[in-house]
Amino acid sequence: MTKKKNTWKNPLAIWGAKGGNYEVPTPPYKDPHEIWKKTNSYKVPTKKIGRFHYEYKSSNHGNKIWNRLRWWPTRRTILWTKGVYNRKSLKAEKIRKDKRPIFWFFGLLFLAIAPFILPEGNKTALLTAGGIFGIYASINLCWTLIIGTAGIFSLATYAIVGISAFFTCWLSINLGLPWWTLPLIGMFIGLGFGIIIALPALRLDGFYYGLLTLGLNELCRVFITTSKAFGSASGGLFGADTFINQDWTPMTQTYASYYSAFLLLIAALFLFRFVDGKRIGRILKLAPEKKESFAEASGVDYKRARVTVFLISSVALGFIGGFYAAYYRGVAFNLFDFHTVVMGLAMITIGGIGRSEGAVVGTLIIVILDRVLIELGPMRYIIIGVLMMFTILFLRNGLFGIRKQFKEWRNKKKNEVRSTRVERGGEMLPEQSTEMDNKDEVYRKRYDKMQREFLKTLICNEIIEEHKNKPLGQHSEALERVLYYFRRAAMNDKYVVKCEEPFKKYKIMALSGVRGRSPRLVEDKIYPSVTDAYHGLFLRRVQDLMEA
Amino acid sequence: MNDIVFLLINGITVACIYGLVAVAVSITWSALGLLNLSYGFIFSFAGYGAWLAERHLWGEPIFVLFMGIAAGVVGGVLVCLLVFIPVHDKPNFTIRGMIGTLAVSLIGGQILLQSFGPKAKLLPEFFGYSKIKILDVTLTADKIGVIISSIIMLTLVVKWMKSSRRGLEIRAMMMNPHAASIVGIGVRKTGIYVMAVTGAMTGLSAALLSQTYYLSPFSGLTPMIKGVSIALLGGLGSVRGAVIAAIILGFNEALTTKFIGGRYVLITQFTLIIIVLIFRPRGIAGILDKAREA
Repeated sequence: MTKKKNTWKNPLAIWGAKGGNYEVPTPPYKDPHEIWKKTNSYKVPTKKIGRFHYEYKSSNHGNKIWNRLRWWPTRRTILWTKGVYNRKSLKAEKIRKDKRPIFWFFGLLFLAIAPFILPEGNKTALLTAGGIFGIYASINLCWTLIIGTAGIFSLATYAIVGISAFFTCWLSINLGLPWWTLPLIGMFIGLGFGIIIALPALRLDGFYYGLLTLGLNELCRVFITTSKAFGSASGGLFGADTFINQDWTPMTQTYASYYSAFLLLIAALFLFRFVDGKRIGRILKLAPEKKESFAEASGVDYKRARVTVFLISSVALGFIGGFYAAYYRGVAFNLFDFHTVVMGLAMITIGGIGRSEGAVVGTLIIVILDRVLIELGPMRYIIIGVLMMFTILFLRNGLFGIRKQFKEWRNKKKNEVRSTRVERGGEMLPEQSTEMDNKDEVYRKRYDKMQREFLKTLICNEIIEEHKNKPLGQHSEALERVLYYFRRAAMNDKYVVKCEEPFKKYKIMALSGVRGRSPRLVEDKIYPSVTDAYHGLFLRRVQDLMEA
Repeated sequence: MNDIVFLLINGITVACIYGLVAVAVSITWSALGLLNLSYGFIFSFAGYGAWLAERHLWGEPIFVLFMGIAAGVVGGVLVCLLVFIPVHDKPNFTIRGMIGTLAVSLIGGQILLQSFGPKAKLLPEFFGYSKIKILDVTLTADKIGVIISSIIMLTLVVKWMKSSRRGLEIRAMMMNPHAASIVGIGVRKTGIYVMAVTGAMTGLSAALLSQTYYLSPFSGLTPMIKGVSIALLGGLGSVRGAVIAAIILGFNEALTTKFIGGRYVLITQFTLIIIVLIFRPRGIAGILDKAREA
């Protein structure tokens, strides 16, 4: 196999240039852009990472950005909107900064009209479960206030509800109190019990308090279940006055209980909003666990705020206890069970601790599993346990922490990809390039490196032979590129030919590049003619290029 | 007088059993930073293990006792593998670990209920039925056996922790988990040792308690809550404190039953705990100024 011989024809040959070099063998043409493209291309797969291009953005006009709907008579806007310009189309757009109110609205709207759209077959069962959901969600909202906002890890929440329910029920049975007094009395009972269990909270921290309240829960259970006055024989206390009239039709009774629980949920949501979102909640956000001393130094009396939130929640829990007694016409012992505490903890853990939507949605999930899918039998508790395990193994803060966790994960991945992408040619270490003032130099080095890489591929015996034959004058394309590069080199350490004796002795020197400092001799070899010296210098430069 | 001594001995017997769980809770918390609320499950698991061994392998009481301990070890290691090892290096470890152990006890309790049914089981008397009379007080063999075997167990564990290489590792983890991991003490490996040892203690207490009371899928709950209360009173992380607290609470139980009434045991107990904790927030023997920061 014969290699196709590539030749270069001197365009000046037609004028008969002196010294020949009309036609010389030369390496085949190489595209200098190739190395450029190769260096600048990404060596890792670049995946598309979305930036909410799917999100609906309503159109806007620059003047209308400030026209917002407000809740009369406050200055609060109905939705937090922001006017922005689309980066691609430059159109003015409105985006919703916080879409949670929309979800809340439709979720609560669904709960409000649920009795009319649920399937007729098992409506009663579903509405009963809905009532349980309303009460438990309210309890869990108060619990979220205690654990999330106040940061007091109390497990005695259901104990407060239970104590209040038992006492109000007992009062209603023995003193004949009407139903509407039960929640009000329950508030006082909740306050009293709250004060008692808030006392150790001032001194104990975190999990010591959690364990203590777990014990308190057991104490209440044992005390109530062994007490004859509270119905140790009948498994609970029944016969309290209720707001659900027994003369109504069963469906009306179901509707009444469902909507009363729904109203309780709304009230609990308002309480959460006004405690967590207002001044007291804000100052507690400054004092998360292990940052208390900072908050104290900033002038925040966090202990007082914590106890206040705890007592407010206890009053609300007492209210719920009274409501519970009036709702079910009594109360059973299972409110104090360890099982109930675990279920409640499952509800707020799966949803995400410290957020109202977490408490409500977590309660919804568990109530559906626990009360609606009853045909699953004990399997449903295993499912709940597996859900809990999944949450703690993989999620940082429950269902509603997924968004933040996903964003963090995505940013991490993005940065990893970016760090693999910035690698260009390794011509300069990253810490070097930050220290360099002239950033053009960084780029010059990068370009220089690419050019040298390209020129290395051109060096071959043909062009060395060509240069040896004729160091000056017109050369082939490949040799010309190499020579241009050599000539453009910086003055320091640039090789030059020194004439020792004209037409007899030539030597090669290197310039210092500094004015006033003499060049240095690089070798002792003596070239007999200037052409030989030119070629020797060329070989030296080629050697430097190949070695660099 | 005779009544009081009888109640005291009862109290000490119960305190020995619950004290084992308390020391287990305490060691787990201080060495691993894990608030293990699945001791209830490990307790029932060990009890059923002993029961199965008695039914299917060999009915010899001592063998059953040791099988209970072995089942406790298995249960402890199971919880360690399911909860501690995956979660121990994640953010919010303490709360996630606690909820994880609760989830394990929920799942485990249901599985035990499914496999063995709600009917209570009884383990054989390990120490026979003999009685000794000392100074007008009758001591039954099971009480003496309970006291002696739990003291032996506790002594063995304390000795092992004081004198062995593994015990040294565990103590290093208690002092400073971060520094311990820097000098090459594996957190996961130590976790398995700790959970195995504490599981063994829980297993022993399960076997001892199930010969007097019955064994059911959720019978571990009360011992766990009692153990947690004792650990809390004694100071989490202190074996000595747990022993003192167990004795105090045992006496309290005996005296309350005698003078006020059995219903009020828990009330006096928690009043006592709250009063102690208000003055010493980290328990009787807990170190005051520095908490373990996991």
